Amino acid sequence: MESSLELTTSLPGTSLPPLRSRIFKIIVIGDSGVGKTCLTYRFCAGKFPDKTEATIGVDFREKVIEIDGEKIKVQLWDTAGQERFRKSMVQHYYRNVHAVVFVYDVTNAASFRSLPAWIEECRQHSLGQEVPRILVGNKCDLRDAVQVSTDTAQKFADSHSMPLFETSAKNPNDNDHVEAIFMTVAHKLKSQKPLVLSQPPPGMEGTMPMRKSEEEEERNAWACSC
Amino acid sequence: MYLKKSKSVGASSPLNGIGKQDWDARRKRKVGEITQALSVTPVDVAALRRMAISEGGLLTDEIRCRVWPKLLNVNTDNLPEKPAEDIRENHKDYHQVLLDVRRSLRRFPPGMPDEQREGLQEELIDIILYVLDRNPQLHYYQGYHDIVVTFLLVLGERLATVLVEKLSTHHLRDFMDPTMDNTKHILNYLMPIIERVNPEVHDFMQQAEVGTIFALSWLITWFGHVLSDFRHVVRLYDFFLACHPLMPIYFAAVIVLHREEEVLDCECDMASVHHLLSQIPQDLPYETLISRAGDLFVQFPPSELAREAAQQHSQQTAASTFKDFELASAQQRPDSVLRRRRKDQAMAAQAQAQSQSQAMVAVRPRAKRLVRLAVMGLTVALGAAALAVVNTALEWAPKLDLQLFP
Ligand SMILES: Nc1nc2c(ncn2[C@@H]2O[C@H](COP(=O)(O)OP(=O)(O)O)[C@@H](O)[C@H]2O)c(=O)[nH]1
Ligand SMILES: [Mg+2]
Repeated sequence: MESSLELTTSLPGTSLPPLRSRIFKIIVIGDSGVGKTCLTYRFCAGKFPDKTEATIGVDFREKVIEIDGEKIKVQLWDTAGQERFRKSMVQHYYRNVHAVVFVYDVTNAASFRSLPAWIEECRQHSLGQEVPRILVGNKCDLRDAVQVSTDTAQKFADSHSMPLFETSAKNPNDNDHVEAIFMTVAHKLKSQKPLVLSQPPPGMEGTMPMRKSEEEEERNAWACSC
Repeated sequence: MYLKKSKSVGASSPLNGIGKQDWDARRKRKVGEITQALSVTPVDVAALRRMAISEGGLLTDEIRCRVWPKLLNVNTDNLPEKPAEDIRENHKDYHQVLLDVRRSLRRFPPGMPDEQREGLQEELIDIILYVLDRNPQLHYYQGYHDIVVTFLLVLGERLATVLVEKLSTHHLRDFMDPTMDNTKHILNYLMPIIERVNPEVHDFMQQAEVGTIFALSWLITWFGHVLSDFRHVVRLYDFFLACHPLMPIYFAAVIVLHREEEVLDCECDMASVHHLLSQIPQDLPYETLISRAGDLFVQFPPSELAREAAQQHSQQTAASTFKDFELASAQQRPDSVLRRRRKDQAMAAQAQAQSQSQAMVAVRPRAKRLVRLAVMGLTVALGAAALAVVNTALEWAPKLDLQLFP
């Protein structure tokens, strides 16, 4: 990841409040139909959408959250699952991503088997283990149709140093759960040093990039801690 | 069926500020002109194109059923039989199609009983797989179903099937390649158009690095995916069916330009601008925007933009953009695809496909000539589009020259 972590309007140590709120940019990927759109909608709108449609290209959803009294914009980039869109279209949106959410459908083993390809794709866009990544198994409400056991998924997650969450975008009882998952990512990002700020104003690009070593240390800690 | 209910599509005055009586009279006159154009032999396709483009478009779905086939030069005398069930499960895209159609509920009129909607969804799947199965060079993309459903709702299953097949091998051809590279190239026309009209908006968008993906679903679904009022969708389809296949990208540019103030007021970053632009306002002044898109097409024809794009990105894209321009504007496939098609056909030894391919080979040089005429700013998209759907170029082209370029 180049230049996405930068200091802009508020410098550490100054007493002025930040002029802009921080933005966390999270990309959500996985096979078509696993529920990426439902999950992102659930987080941003607080409910399961009654009608979703195929995502064409990239959809954007945003929610302002508050952590420790600080307002933070969480931007979710919801991507098309069909392979043809990824190859030439979605690339642009991998830039400056702060975290990645991989989604599979617990009732669809094929969507789980696709995960290595998705991870590889991220890696090609320079989003490897140094970026916070999580694995989400969706549609847990469909208990009788489960094809991917928690065990299998956990092993896979471990081997890729990712935390695993199983949830349902649909089941109302899990409302907090979907929220909690994204909040976990947000907390993680917030705890990263230095601050992840919104895009720099014109002319400020590339100012004060964070030290690489520090950056990596921080991220590896996250990757291994779960 | 739903079709009949939407008969009054466009019945209300499409332009603000025009008296109802006035519009009623003009509408009546227009119906008369369309009927007249349909009744002569051969059918006056040029007049039908003008009707489809001009205010209110083709007015009713009943008229669309008669005119759309003419715009696509489709013979409706012997419609195909209902395809066998077994192509379904066997097709490689079956699962994706199923998934997308099952969740396409919003494309159907809100009041429609579930049972009827489900029947239509089954037909939708059938049409898509029928066309894909017969044309192995075509690849399904998410959003294709949004186009097909429009044809299904207006025309019914059998007529929709033949028209969709024609459209897929012509207007939509570039979107249905194995990759989306050509689609991406077509999207590359967007910013040059915007730049010509409003450099400030262009520069702002460039600075935000918004890209063009916000317009992707507009382009590849002909706005069917993003407009919730079906009347607006069919009105646009009238326009696009009568025009050059790049017209949807001109229309996309016009929408952005229409919102120039909002864009410039937006925070200058990718997310904000992408978000703003991808939420399309539902109360757009369609008739005004349609005529504006036509104007832009004449003023800045694709050839000119292609040249500019080629200059801009001379290192990587000059050749490909130019080639792509030829493809898109004449709706021909790349040579490689032609070659591939011929190989496929040799193997399949399918007589019909073969004659189609030969016709295409014949069309190519002719299309280039028309492109040049368009550069001279002679017509609103009529020329190249008419050519796009001819089976035998030789039969049509001379007539076309006479009619459109007096
Ligand atoms: N039962 C159940 N269905 C879900 C859940 N999440 C999504 N779906 C359904 O799965 C289908 C695909 O969801 P969508 O969000 O469009 O998938 P995407 O292609 O990954 O964006 C839709 O029909 C949803 O209603 C879930 O948690 N439980
Ligand atoms: Mg989706």
